[in-house]
Amino acid sequence: MAASEAAVRVHDVSRRFGHRWVVRNVSMEVFPGEAVLLVGGNGAGKTTLLRVLAGLLRANRGTVDHRGMVGMVAHHTMMYDALTARENLTFYTRLHGLPRDGRGDRLIERLGLAHAADQRIATFSRGMLQRLAIARSLLHDPDVLLFDEPLTGLDDAASRIVLDVIRELKARGAALLIATHQLVELVGETARVGYMVSGRLAALEPIGGRDAGGVVSRYKELVTDGR
Amino acid sequence: MAGNLLTATAAIARKDLKVEWRTKTAFMSSLVFAVLVLAVLYFARDKTSVGDFDIAPGALWVTFTFAGMLGLNRAFLLERENRALDGLRLTPVTPTALFLGKVIGNLIFLGVVELVSLPLFILFYDVPIWRQLPILLAVVALATVGYVAVGTLLSAMVVRTRFSEVMLPVLLLPFLVPPIVSAVQLTWRILALRPLSELTGWLSLLAAFDVIFFTLSLLLFEAILIE
Amino acid sequence: MTRRERALQTARRGGLVTVIALVGLAVVYVRAIAFTPIERTQGPAQKIFYVHAPIAWATMLAFAVTGLLSLLYLTMRDRKFDLMAAASAEVGTALGIAMLTTGPLWAKPIWGTFWTWDARLTSTLFTFLLFVGYLVLRGALSDFEVRARFSAVLGVMALVLVPFIHVTVYWFRTLHPDPVVMKPEGPSLPAVMLTTLLTSLIVCTVLYIGLVMQRYALAVLEDVREEEEAGDGIS
Repeated sequence: MAASEAAVRVHDVSRRFGHRWVVRNVSMEVFPGEAVLLVGGNGAGKTTLLRVLAGLLRANRGTVDHRGMVGMVAHHTMMYDALTARENLTFYTRLHGLPRDGRGDRLIERLGLAHAADQRIATFSRGMLQRLAIARSLLHDPDVLLFDEPLTGLDDAASRIVLDVIRELKARGAALLIATHQLVELVGETARVGYMVSGRLAALEPIGGRDAGGVVSRYKELVTDGR
Repeated sequence: MAGNLLTATAAIARKDLKVEWRTKTAFMSSLVFAVLVLAVLYFARDKTSVGDFDIAPGALWVTFTFAGMLGLNRAFLLERENRALDGLRLTPVTPTALFLGKVIGNLIFLGVVELVSLPLFILFYDVPIWRQLPILLAVVALATVGYVAVGTLLSAMVVRTRFSEVMLPVLLLPFLVPPIVSAVQLTWRILALRPLSELTGWLSLLAAFDVIFFTLSLLLFEAILIE
Repeated sequence: MTRRERALQTARRGGLVTVIALVGLAVVYVRAIAFTPIERTQGPAQKIFYVHAPIAWATMLAFAVTGLLSLLYLTMRDRKFDLMAAASAEVGTALGIAMLTTGPLWAKPIWGTFWTWDARLTSTLFTFLLFVGYLVLRGALSDFEVRARFSAVLGVMALVLVPFIHVTVYWFRTLHPDPVVMKPEGPSLPAVMLTTLLTSLIVCTVLYIGLVMQRYALAVLEDVREEEEAGDGIS
């Protein structure tokens, strides 16, 4: 895959719930090796857009095009409380039709969860659950990763591990789209920012050297522009 | 492809059973319920006016039907916890594999409840069950398959509503008329040691119901899953 | 014409059709009471048959229509089919209630009891309960796309189920009078009674159509209003 070809391309996508259009006419591309931030207020449509990109929701209008596999990390872990970390990952390994080559265990190591691998995840802290969810999303070596608030509720140590993973994934050529409110930690990792206002992608542009505060100002600018 | 279908189906069924084994709540409720229903029906009748043959088949099937319903919802309620269903849908698992996995899990669950209730049934009712055991078990299996196929599909819908425990019987009971009536008629005739010729009609109805509704439920499941 | 205008037109037309049907129903009543002879074995109470059987027919028609529209929705995903299916189900439920009240009124003088659990009554009751279940499911789902999809699935399942319930019924002994009209040998009612019955059948079908048209129009109007309330759409 050429570096200039987008890993995920979205064209004029819209999605509604009932009569309410939650995502409207969104077009964007994410390229391998980059992390794009997606910012917007609550109800701006970020989560819905990610779910459409992941294939969990059909777009009512428009098209979604992936090259390669997609992984997703969201607010809910998508795993079973009564099973251990290792069992959960083994289950997902089987579902993906992947060989039992210990990849689950390697990911558990990488995400700093080896000490709790055989504990039921009902006992896990928020930080541990988030890290395990990342492990789950990486089992099938996805080319595209969608993150919905990956750093929420994490302590410093866990955040560091997650940021390391994000850097590593970028370096390995994965395309990342990260919806977040936590700009301070992530602005350093991204080159482009998408601003969502009322379901529309008001702008998708280079970060332009802005820091977290700068991004927030830009966002407010776009919100008032839209009125 | 076929290999993946089997792996995925088996993985899902195994996971369901493992989780149920660890929590045991649905299983214990079903079992206790079955025992209670059998006991109540036994003690409630007047032994001098209602013979064993008259009430036994009905008692058996009322027990199985209602105990079964307690267990059916658990299959998809599990997937709502932590949005596990999203995780499943992010894998290559097809709706068919998911449906089959859930059906098998439910069949095993209900099968165990039935096998445990059967000795109790034998204890309460003086009917010649032993020499008829093979054919009786065949009938129980056939009726259970039809019941579980439809019940699995309906429970997938019903778990998204607020009163899923009540909604399932409301929707499912009309669908139970053909298989359960057939099962009661067959059970009665089997216990009364009637010739095989008297069974063929009801057996064909039961078999036809199973084939048609299993297929239909399988085909319609995708419409439930894809948003 | 906008969607709202079309719906209002359907409502008006449906209203007209319903009025025609109600007039027809009055005609049937008059004909049944005054101009049709009393049946030998059952006496005057038999005349409820001229209303009960056609309403039962209309209920079953409503049911079949709901089932077929459900199938159409699943294949074509056009919301119109969903709204029509729901309208048919509601009208069918109302007709079903009429059926389930005229039936016992007929039964009491003839059989001495308002209800028995014989095969046909039980199977009809289950069909009615399927309708009710369909409406209960719809009521429990707030997202209209999920509601449409799920009730369509239930509708198709129910449609396939009815023949099975029917067959299960026929293999039971039944108290219900054996079919007089839909028999393989042909109707065995004398001509004058047959005419009353067939007239009533047509009237009840027309009544069904008129009521469904109005209910459908109402559903469309509700939908239009919700759409407007949801605010601006997409470009």
